[in-house]
Amino acid sequence: MKINGVEIVDTFAEAFPMKATRIIITAMNLKWAYQAANAIRGFASSVIACGIEADIERELKPSETPDGRPGISVMIFAMSIKELEKHIPTRVGQSVMTTATTACFSGLDSEKKVSMGKSLRFFGDGFQISKTMNGKRFWRIPVMHGEFICEDTTGVTKAIGGGNFLVLAKTARQGLTACEKAVNEIQKISGVITAFPGGVVGSGSKVGSKYPFLTASTNEAYCPTLKGQVKSELGDEVGSVLEIVIDGLDEELINQAMRVGIRAACSFGSAKGICSISAGNYGGNLGPHLFHLRKLLK
Amino acid sequence: MSALTFTLKSRPKFTLDMSPLIPDKLQDLTLEKIKKLGLVYGKETVKVESLFTVKGNIKNTIVINKSCEQLICVGKEMSTGSITVKGDVGDFLGQSMKNGEVTVVGNAGSWSGTGMSGGRINVRGNVGDYTGAGLPGDAFGMTNGLINITGDAGDRVGDRMRRGIIIIQGKSGAYCGSRIHAGTIIALDKVGKHSGEGMRRGTVILAKKPSHISATFKSCGNLKMQFLRLLFTQLSNIDDEFLFFSKYGPIAHRFSGDLARNGKGEILILQTMTKR
Repeated sequence: MKINGVEIVDTFAEAFPMKATRIIITAMNLKWAYQAANAIRGFASSVIACGIEADIERELKPSETPDGRPGISVMIFAMSIKELEKHIPTRVGQSVMTTATTACFSGLDSEKKVSMGKSLRFFGDGFQISKTMNGKRFWRIPVMHGEFICEDTTGVTKAIGGGNFLVLAKTARQGLTACEKAVNEIQKISGVITAFPGGVVGSGSKVGSKYPFLTASTNEAYCPTLKGQVKSELGDEVGSVLEIVIDGLDEELINQAMRVGIRAACSFGSAKGICSISAGNYGGNLGPHLFHLRKLLK
Repeated sequence: MSALTFTLKSRPKFTLDMSPLIPDKLQDLTLEKIKKLGLVYGKETVKVESLFTVKGNIKNTIVINKSCEQLICVGKEMSTGSITVKGDVGDFLGQSMKNGEVTVVGNAGSWSGTGMSGGRINVRGNVGDYTGAGLPGDAFGMTNGLINITGDAGDRVGDRMRRGIIIIQGKSGAYCGSRIHAGTIIALDKVGKHSGEGMRRGTVILAKKPSHISATFKSCGNLKMQFLRLLFTQLSNIDDEFLFFSKYGPIAHRFSGDLARNGKGEILILQTMTKR
């Protein structure tokens, strides 16, 4: 199968179950909402070492936010509810509460919840105020810029992490140009994120290592400089491989994101240095969610 | 299919306890059984059919026609459905209600919403004293829910309330929000003296500058309160009836107190109607 001369390898991406939440950050204006959103999604590229994966989902109009101010929705994924419980209060506390004029709300309704303002309220040192509106509880924490308003909890739902595809290109510049367009298209879909910096992984990993203390290490089969030394998956013309990893709320959303992402990357065609599209998998042993490239592009 | 309708045949001489006529208690009863239900009327118990004409079959939606202030405890302890009252009602409207909605197209007596823990009460008229307040001996007044009064309210609105929201669109009497433990009272017209007297926590929002603020409240100056923006946005999202809240801005003169009670409550006097 080829799109624009780009070979679609007959393989599949392997994804695994995760837990996800969505938070809404509002501020005096979008600039300051972005400051907080960028801070909370910092160092949240992979659960391997960051504990969570997080990214901006989209901008929100004032009419879409609980307090009528401009906002940003951020999606946060983790391997378990326990991990979310651990990271949400610390990240909201250090990244959102410290950003001037912000407020933080839950963007997901569900029965299962993790604490947010419930933990952060203690920063108010006894001066915090609880308010219940429309069945939701909010905390007003007095801070130096005025008041930091934070919803008590945020909803948690089942999700899928690790949907991916690899862009095999002649040069890193050509690969990155294609990936940038792919990420732009994926970002138009609500309910999915690409958590790595710029949405692109420059150092995709495999599970395990020769070193026992390491859970993930470089994916040597896709390293251009290791061609000849290892059993490489790369042809002679491939000089750079970039990966786009997608976390989403369900299989259909990831399918959709992979589809638009791959099509966008392929739009550059073989003439502009895109050799093929592949995907990362672990032989079907890691996760129950398999995304066959050729199937989803039909 | 029509709402279960109780039409008062004539004005009762004595107070009539309407607490058995709530959707929770009528769900499984036939119309005939409903007519035979007993209501406490003065010192006696009388059958529903002796005082009301009963029609309809949707037991989750109750309508009371030609009501008057002798009807007390309307919607008491209800937890589902809706009751619409056409006419006035007496005291204890929606007492201890847990959920559902009671609407009175008329005036209501005192102690409306006392002990309520959820649901919504609408009064399209005036209410007496102690709206949402706690009965003597109760630890708290209302502990959740929403009371919306279109007209005026008497004294001691929300006395000792613990949680929930009371909106008074007309004038409020003295001691509005007295001794409240928490919760929010919004008074959109003039209020009497001693607002928030003895409050521990909670918020009293006044749209008009009161003639009197107790000396035990300390001014924090004019502040842009993000909480107000959130509150007004949330209220205007509830239904069209509260859309007018979207015109209120977040700037308020904040008074903290009641310092005589080491209180951490607040009186917020809205400074602008224009959203900023």
